[in-house]
Amino acid sequence: MESLSALALAVALALLGLWVLVGRRNLVWKLLGLNVASGGSILFLVALSHRPGARPPILGLGPGPAADALPQALVLTAIVIHFATLALALALVILLTERRHTQDSRKLEEEEG
Amino acid sequence: MKVLLALALLGLGGLLGLGIAGLWPRPEPQDPEPVARAWGVANAVAAVVLGVRLWDTLFEVLVYVVAMVGVRFFLGGLRWRGELPPVAETPLLRRAADLLLGPILVFALYLAASGHLGPGGGFPAGALLGSALLLLALAKGVERLSQELYEPRLESLEYLAVALLLFLGAVVLIFLVRAPAAFIAANLLIALEVAIGAWAVLHRFASARGEV
Repeated sequence: MESLSALALAVALALLGLWVLVGRRNLVWKLLGLNVASGGSILFLVALSHRPGARPPILGLGPGPAADALPQALVLTAIVIHFATLALALALVILLTERRHTQDSRKLEEEEG
Repeated sequence: MKVLLALALLGLGGLLGLGIAGLWPRPEPQDPEPVARAWGVANAVAAVVLGVRLWDTLFEVLVYVVAMVGVRFFLGGLRWRGELPPVAETPLLRRAADLLLGPILVFALYLAASGHLGPGGGFPAGALLGSALLLLALAKGVERLSQELYEPRLESLEYLAVALLLFLGAVVLIFLVRAPAAFIAANLLIALEVAIGAWAVLHRFASARGEV
């Protein structure tokens, strides 16, 4: 199956992103990890919609099975939502840096407690 | 702590690997052609995004607008108060922007208007329009472009596009309209809204950077 390598790459990307998201203490690094994990999940959905020898899900593109249209529509939604939430999270990080002069999540928690 | 995290992630990866290893049969994907035929368009993805799952798309657009309002709200107070660094005069970039702007705009319009027939649609067209604005901002400076675009009018245009989109969605949902014209109008509105939102993010992140 051709899509198996893409699926394995997607899982690896998601794990790498989650590792950075939880393991790092800098907020910008955490958002970078979230970005990579989101990329992995998007690649996972696209690879799942693939069938061997499939053509794009558009009418009139010749014979053969068409790729599943539903994961692709989901991915379209996921990319836009991901862009919007990432922009909002970065804006909040900028505001936090302006007010508290640190991006270290542990320092922020200690100051809070 | 790191050891626990690594173990948890490896366990998660193992579970996902078992899932994709082919030990259990995956459900056979459905043929998308009947959906596309039922909605009278050629692109099955467009039929799913703007037809079968229209509620998803409407709320997605709402989430996008709310996030952009949040970016404007949080970064609006962080105006750079000092002298802005001058924009370097780069004739090459100016000429390239002049040359490329027209084709990019036409291609974005084409993508939005033909999204129901082939690859394309409102979201890629909006991203393309946003990158055209980025090119202009690189060429002549963000603040000058913002003054030329007259930001408040742009913002109300974005809200008007969203309101029109919600109205269109309500018409499609209530009267069960299944016409390509509805798809074209929805794609154009989505492109406008995504482009203005992307410009808002670009402008705020470039000019409202606080005093850090």
